[in-house]
Amino acid sequence: MTQPTPPACLKPVATTVGLLALTGCSLHGAPSFPLVGAYFPAWMMCAIIGILAAVGFRVAFLALGIDTILRFRLFTYVSLGVLMALLVWALVFGP
Amino acid sequence: MQTASSTPTKQKNRNRPGIVIAAVCVTAAILFGIHIAHQDTAYPSTDSASIDAELVHVASVVGGRLVELPVQENQHVHKGDMLYRIDPEPYQLTLKQAEASAALAQAEVEHQERLVAIKTVEATAAQDQVHRATTNRDLTARTVRRLAPLAQNSYIPLQEYDQAQVAARNAEISLTQATQQSVAATTAIGDLKSSIAARDASNAALARVRYELAQTEVRAPADGYVTSLHVKTGEVLAPAQALFTLIADDEWHAVGNLRETDLATVHPGDCATVYSMIDRTHAIHGVVDSIGFGVMSLDSAGLARGLPLVPRQMDWVHVAQRFPVRVRLDHADPTLLRMGATATFEIRHGASCH
Repeated sequence: MTQPTPPACLKPVATTVGLLALTGCSLHGAPSFPLVGAYFPAWMMCAIIGILAAVGFRVAFLALGIDTILRFRLFTYVSLGVLMALLVWALVFGP
Repeated sequence: MQTASSTPTKQKNRNRPGIVIAAVCVTAAILFGIHIAHQDTAYPSTDSASIDAELVHVASVVGGRLVELPVQENQHVHKGDMLYRIDPEPYQLTLKQAEASAALAQAEVEHQERLVAIKTVEATAAQDQVHRATTNRDLTARTVRRLAPLAQNSYIPLQEYDQAQVAARNAEISLTQATQQSVAATTAIGDLKSSIAARDASNAALARVRYELAQTEVRAPADGYVTSLHVKTGEVLAPAQALFTLIADDEWHAVGNLRETDLATVHPGDCATVYSMIDRTHAIHGVVDSIGFGVMSLDSAGLARGLPLVPRQMDWVHVAQRFPVRVRLDHADPTLLRMGATATFEIRHGASCH
């Protein structure tokens, strides 16, 4: 296993963090998101964030080499995605 | 591919952190999910609410031709502003007629008063006649008594005594007649009841006509916006025909449906964060006003006096019933308030409730 260069390894992480920060910014306001004249509910937004986070984790862990020590990868990544989605829900839309 | 040749023990040790990470992640996700589910029930929210206000269907209780319409569609009006005027001429004419009727009734009362005064005087005169007849009767009676012993002893002619007796009987009859006439005259005085009642009826009719005349001018019953105004002056309106709708803007609400399972945690007076989707970044502070007490359900639908309508089906998953929750908005920016606008609200959380 070759040691990945720091910028290459940090890129997906930075993208994910940046994306989350951006969503956190645009999430401010009503828990309903207009898209071409239709309102999408907050839970759907959180689900999309969760899916993106799971994919992001997968990419980041592959780059960092963490993926090799994981077992039951499907469950792990799904759980991480769910956790991220719930975290966004709790922080942005929660009480 | 070198790892494939390692011993099974080493393989097991290498896998252990992975299993732990997977177990921790799955457990954390489940626990966090349960926590969030509880939170969602305790702090309900909906994104299918709508902005609501009270309406007045502006109409006049009288009909006629619309002659003046100083308001326009979407105009804001204040309470008491003139909204429109119906041709007052027919009502002015009716008013004149009613005034004449009232004057006639008043004149009739005065006429009746004079008649009563005259009849009272006549009754007094009849009473005096009774007095005179009584005096006359007494005199003739005394004369008869005086002449009786003289006639017995023949000091006077019997003819004279007879005349005195006849005069006494005549006086008695005169008294009876005078008494009867007096009673009749007293009864004939009558009273003013019927004429006063007629005057009261005329005055009531006059007041009614004045009210109708006043109703030709329609004024705003509350502050609000004129909507659904599609006619111009010249339109003929039936009594109680609505000309347009006034959206009262003194109090606005957001009405959204919450599941019955969440209603136990919602109480009137709870704080709510409301967003009108006209500007989804602008939080409006709201207070839960009330929760709806009834919705039409398919199970209770049907004719009021018919038999219950029972579909033939197996019990399956039932979707929770929802009830409208009414949230009163406090000091909202008027640009965010349009009746029917999509809104979201969050009970006891969100930007306005901390």
